[in-house]
Amino acid sequence: MAGFVHLHVHSHFSFMDGAAAIDDLVGRAAQYGMPALAVTDHQGLYGAVRFYKAAKHAGIRPIVGAEIVVEPAGLLGEEGGQPPKRRLPIPPSAGFGRASAQGFHLTLLVKDRQGYANLCTLLSRMHLGRTQRLSIAGLDDLARCSEGIIGLSGCPYGEAGAAVLAGQPARAERALRVLAQCFAPGDFYVELMDLLVPESPPYVGTLAALAQRLGLPIVATNDVHYVEKRDFRLHDVLSAAAARTGLPGPYERQNAELWLKPASEMRRLFARLPEACDATLEIAERCDLDLGLGTLRFPSIEVPRGETPYSVLVKAAWSGLEKRYRPLTPAAVARLERELAAIQQMGFAEYFLVVKDIVDFARSRGIRATGRGSAGDSIIAYALGITDADPIRYDLLFERFLNPARRQMPDIDIDFDSRRRDEVVAYIYRRFGDDHVAVVATVQTMGVRSAVRTAARALGFSPREVDQLSRNLPWASASRLREVLASYPECRGHPLHDQERYGLIVELAEELDGCPMHLGTHLGGFVVTKEPVWCWTPLQVAGKGIAVSQHDKDDIEALGLVKMDILGLRMHSAISDALALARARVGADEVPEPFDLRPDDPAVYEMIAAGDTVGVFQLESSGQRNLATRLKQRDFSDIIAAISLFRPGPLEAEMITPFIRRRHGIEPVEVPHPAMAEVLRDSYGVILYQEQVLRVANAVAGFSLAEADLLRRAMTKDRSRAEMEALRERFVDHAVERGTPRIVAEEVFRQIQGFAAYGFCKAHAACFAVISYASAWLKRYFPAEFACAILNNEPMGFYTPRTVLNDARRHGVAVLPPHVNRSEATYSVEDGGRAIRVGLKDVCGITCRTLHAITHERARRPFLDLADFLRRTRPEIQEAESLIRVGALDGLGITDAGRPPTRDEMLAMLPELKATIAHDRSTSDDVLLIAPGKARAAECPDHPSGWSLARRLSAELEILGLSISCHPLELAEIDLDRRGVTRACELADLEDRSHIRVVGLRERAQTPPTRSGKRTCFLTLEDATGLLDVVVFEDVLQATGDVIVANRAYLVEGTLQNNPERGLAIVAERIEPYVVSADDGAPVRLRRGVPAGPIGPHRGTAGAPEDDAAPSAIRHHG
Amino acid sequence: MGRYRAIRQYRPSERPGQPLDLFSGKATRSDMVEELLKSPWIIRGSQAVRGALGAGKRREEPVDVVWDGAKRAPVAFERNGRRYRVEALVQTWSVERAWWDPRTRTSRRCFRVFARGGLYDLAFDLTEDRWLLIGIVD
Repeated sequence: MAGFVHLHVHSHFSFMDGAAAIDDLVGRAAQYGMPALAVTDHQGLYGAVRFYKAAKHAGIRPIVGAEIVVEPAGLLGEEGGQPPKRRLPIPPSAGFGRASAQGFHLTLLVKDRQGYANLCTLLSRMHLGRTQRLSIAGLDDLARCSEGIIGLSGCPYGEAGAAVLAGQPARAERALRVLAQCFAPGDFYVELMDLLVPESPPYVGTLAALAQRLGLPIVATNDVHYVEKRDFRLHDVLSAAAARTGLPGPYERQNAELWLKPASEMRRLFARLPEACDATLEIAERCDLDLGLGTLRFPSIEVPRGETPYSVLVKAAWSGLEKRYRPLTPAAVARLERELAAIQQMGFAEYFLVVKDIVDFARSRGIRATGRGSAGDSIIAYALGITDADPIRYDLLFERFLNPARRQMPDIDIDFDSRRRDEVVAYIYRRFGDDHVAVVATVQTMGVRSAVRTAARALGFSPREVDQLSRNLPWASASRLREVLASYPECRGHPLHDQERYGLIVELAEELDGCPMHLGTHLGGFVVTKEPVWCWTPLQVAGKGIAVSQHDKDDIEALGLVKMDILGLRMHSAISDALALARARVGADEVPEPFDLRPDDPAVYEMIAAGDTVGVFQLESSGQRNLATRLKQRDFSDIIAAISLFRPGPLEAEMITPFIRRRHGIEPVEVPHPAMAEVLRDSYGVILYQEQVLRVANAVAGFSLAEADLLRRAMTKDRSRAEMEALRERFVDHAVERGTPRIVAEEVFRQIQGFAAYGFCKAHAACFAVISYASAWLKRYFPAEFACAILNNEPMGFYTPRTVLNDARRHGVAVLPPHVNRSEATYSVEDGGRAIRVGLKDVCGITCRTLHAITHERARRPFLDLADFLRRTRPEIQEAESLIRVGALDGLGITDAGRPPTRDEMLAMLPELKATIAHDRSTSDDVLLIAPGKARAAECPDHPSGWSLARRLSAELEILGLSISCHPLELAEIDLDRRGVTRACELADLEDRSHIRVVGLRERAQTPPTRSGKRTCFLTLEDATGLLDVVVFEDVLQATGDVIVANRAYLVEGTLQNNPERGLAIVAERIEPYVVSADDGAPVRLRRGVPAGPIGPHRGTAGAPEDDAAPSAIRHHG
Repeated sequence: MGRYRAIRQYRPSERPGQPLDLFSGKATRSDMVEELLKSPWIIRGSQAVRGALGAGKRREEPVDVVWDGAKRAPVAFERNGRRYRVEALVQTWSVERAWWDPRTRTSRRCFRVFARGGLYDLAFDLTEDRWLLIGIVD
């Protein structure tokens, strides 16, 4: 018999201990002509589903398995109870986390579906702490879950192997005997590894002899950790980094033999034991797991007796429709009937009921909830209250959401008020049972920084040097590190340029690109199952103490399980807060629910069209503000268009320019086919929405909408030229049959092909537009409450709190400094909605205890002076210092001079006062008489603080991250005038192509991808009068990138772009750092309040549809 | 092979105390020794001292080796002007150490061979592209 199957293989998913990508493993095994391949990652099935799919695709049999840690079997009592000389060597920690050093390795392979469920159960019991020791399999658990599983005795860190190496064959024999008893007869093999080390021959020989004596079969493996021999370096680096040691790492590997060897090589190694190689083929024959991918598995939902899920859904949908459409229209009725029929045919009624159940719960508790994504295309979702955009009014197509011709698990993502999301999550666990719900995992992979850090740590560089090496590296793939270092201006002078010292780090970091590091938890994904969830996916404990699946969302989807995205949206919290503040001020009846308003208020559109959208959901970024000034939104469909246009796809396809030019009549709307004119009327002949692709294919080629959706999906994936040609022919033939000239049909297809991959899901944009309008309405009519709510829900949105506050100030809202006698913990609205009082929570380093003490004591009576404050609240000295420096105690008390003490005087008194109070333990209200400490003379006697404006501002920026006293650039007015600097508020009045000079503080620097591939930086700056949008093209960026990264304020010279076609922006020609200082030369320290550092990634993915960038979808506003 | 020559067998039918050779000739002796060397149960005296490679005499001297590409094993080597024909390949192993440090990096493919009645460790050094005799074990 020839041939060989590798049965002990670690992929990347043996986190930080596997250097083999699954696709590479499968590809190499297929290339060798191996009939099967196993993947046995440490302690889990993290990569099992993608391995299963890849192997099936490659035509080889996937053998799913895991290498687990099992308690000692050949020993009575504890390992630690043995005399030191009899103890076996401890397995290293790499890949095994907390289970290391507590047990021995054992390889398990799944034979069938029962074995898969048993392995999932065993792993779950281990990780969830339901065994005696955490993450260790007990022998009784192993025996209980061994049906359908084949066991191999493990590597040299298995108990038998370790005992043989330690010269304790008797213990090895005992261990083998006990372990074999845990499995069905014939299902336990003695695993032989010849790793080409000097110990190998006696190791293999002894184990083989023991197996013979015990009547156990033997099997040969190679403990594969990398595909190619040359990748052994990565394995060493990863395992060293995982074990937090330097190279050679915890294993101290003697050689590089853990690669995926061909059958001939393995047969040569085991030439004396051919039966060990034959056994791999036998085992592969016996392992025939069918995961049944493609079968959909819905959770069970209870329905009243005599009802079915479908009947319940129908009743709820009709009832909802009546509420949504008054009066009911024939179009709505027909649409609902069509969708219900499709859902019945596809059997998705249970899914909709599950989603409805969750949304109903949220609504019943007053928790804001809105659906997003393609679910907005469904009138059922609209009728059930899951989504809020009318699919008929906005021409949203059900087939884009659920295609009857393609049965696929529906995916409805719901945004909940982020502050109350945990209530919803708790309900889901209650409703479906703890055993049926788990959080979906994400896999954290290495980017450039983590790759550099991993390599540098393994090579033994000091933590300080590691920090220096990874600092200021841009957001990029590690595989591009050399290119980034060579071409990115911000990397000029980066230490990694030192080839002699750091060359190996760069080389290794590039190879580590994309390597999974560890499992994370999805921001909002939950898997809900009918059977206990561990029948399908192993569970483990995440950082927050919740059970997380070992599979990510793609794996869950592939397994046919229901995944719900329960996302937290901070904008919902902000809207709720703003409403509460507004209603508290003007009365509950005076402020309507913004989601119930008709989106037709001209004042709101006027504000949006002016680009005055700081804080407005999805419309606030610099790109969106620029777009708004060009688009001039007039109605709700314009908001949908704006949200859709400023997305990676439409941006890359450069759809904005034709859209704007046609909208303003600069160029005519031309379409190749008259039917397209009607379909694309909203977007001026540009195929902007994915739904429009369906409509065009339907109108021109007569495709049904379901067929058209298949065409769209086919076009959005990488297709071979032949496949695309087949699609084209089919489309054109259909169109010609319907009387369209061939040349026209071909042109229509060309346009669809060009835009299908870039279009945006209109339903998703419409769902977001509802929230955008609500937030814009609040900003328009309740600016103080809205800004206050945004600030109370930070971090959120595009801008720093400093800019949000400055924007409020520009809207006539006064900003009041924090004060212990007036501020709440959070921001609050004062003066009848004309002022915002900064909350104390933003004081750097303040604790919840102190915050509580301040508000609690102040409720009794106001603080009289510093001593009174210290005695009653007992803050830490740093907290008190920060509060004094930021002015929160200004004006309290009286000194001998008959005025309140200055900040310097209070700071001088503070240590002595604090010590006296601590010493006296006095809680009475006795007045403490402390001689004021020696403080320097007041810089500004007119102000109660005694501090100059520049000093106050520096303290505010440093401690609060805000500029309350004034904008920093207001201090430098004379210098700015001297330099001939134009202010942001003046730009709109200047001529297009004017040469101007501006100064601004950095707010954001981004480099989104462009179609040309050139790197363009979009720099958002802020001066005292508003925001400045600066475009830095590649040539200027090359010259000034390091200036952008290293500074916080810049002087920019360039050409003003001010025309309806391109909007308002400054094209930079020169950028230099600007030091903000007062007129008297006192510098203003901008740190903490103004960002600096690397130029960030583009932020256009916020709210992208689920198939674009779901994991990052709520990073922006969530 | 001096020590093995001393292995004698007692045959009661013969004259008492008369020693006899265990092996009839060199050919039969080699097979047996080779088998014994590969046996996991046999621990040689040198191995009992320290380390898996045994004590023996560790050294690093360049040698000329005749390589058999088909067998992927050395067939002979020359040392001090004497040619040693490899009678048996006892063990192979590989060494890959300190790859991150060019000064101390070791990358070798090692062969323990049985030749002229002794055990010799030969290594092909991949970094220097040459053969070394790295040990005379027994």
